[in-house]
Amino acid sequence: MNAEPDDLALDATPALVEGTARVVALDGDTVWLEPEPRSGCGTCASAGMCGAKGIGTAANRIEARRFPLHDRLGLTVGERVVVGVPENALLKATGAVYAVPLAAALGAGAVAQWAAGSDGVTLVAMIAGLALGMLVARLGAGRLGTRGDLAPRLLRRAAPGETCERD
Amino acid sequence: MQEYVLLMVGAALVNNVILARFLGLCSFMGVTTRLDTAIGMGLATTFVITVSSMLNWGAQEYLLDPYGLGYLRTVVFILVIAAAVQFTEMTVRKVSPPLFQMLGIYLPLITTNCAVLGVALLVVEGKMGLLGATLFGFASSVGYSLVMVIFAGLRERLALADVPRLFAGPPIGFIVASLLALAFMGFSGISTH
Repeated sequence: MNAEPDDLALDATPALVEGTARVVALDGDTVWLEPEPRSGCGTCASAGMCGAKGIGTAANRIEARRFPLHDRLGLTVGERVVVGVPENALLKATGAVYAVPLAAALGAGAVAQWAAGSDGVTLVAMIAGLALGMLVARLGAGRLGTRGDLAPRLLRRAAPGETCERD
Repeated sequence: MQEYVLLMVGAALVNNVILARFLGLCSFMGVTTRLDTAIGMGLATTFVITVSSMLNWGAQEYLLDPYGLGYLRTVVFILVIAAAVQFTEMTVRKVSPPLFQMLGIYLPLITTNCAVLGVALLVVEGKMGLLGATLFGFASSVGYSLVMVIFAGLRERLALADVPRLFAGPPIGFIVASLLALAFMGFSGISTH
């Protein structure tokens, strides 16, 4: 008997956004993880022709995203694990990084246009607003980081062939 | 004020960048299998489209038009967009390394998103002022994000539905996308923009 889609959707709602990572180094109780690229549009039929795949999965970019976690599973180098971050933390993070600077830039632009009526002044005001918004975002992100909201959690060892893609 | 409101409603809903202008279709089909990736991609794209609309307007107004370099528009706009994406990526990395781990993966994908260039070219075509151009870019990208999130939600539910084998995956996705486009056609009576 099939369950109602609504029930299934509620049950399947993840509290954590999961991703897979590979252990690249061990340092005492700490493991260094390298996230496996989440192939956004790299999986489409024209992936071989698409510049995005090469840019998004370049080795140096992945290396730059290495991060440490406390090892509570006794991992070894080369193992794949599943890590997760709270879903609401992801929304807060995107809000802090993108929404605050954008709102500051648009607000500054609107005020400058109303006060000066010149596109040149408005452009300068928008760039200044964007910079100010970035500073505020930095403070907000720092606060989230201090509370530990953004720290990924080590969930489990990844099963063979496990990815986070749903087809 | 009313002019700006109509411009934004028109850009976000009536002439939606995905469902009416058919731009950004690669990410529309590729990044909407999960709601969280769709939200991340949508917000990153909103930021980049808005900032690049502003910068491309500046390049057009203060570089291309005065020196008669209009034929270099596409190349210059692509350079500005790539620079804006790189700048955003560097800034996110500086602002918060944990955030960069969570959000950074979407940014390189935006460089090749034709919606970003498409909106910049539409801004030039519309001969808008700076504030109008920036609000048009912002509203277009909000419309893009809205459709991405709606479509990702529908696809997450579709994954649980009993779809005939021949239609499973992209085929049913395309059918749902066409139904969504039909639904958005309902907004065409709101504005003439």
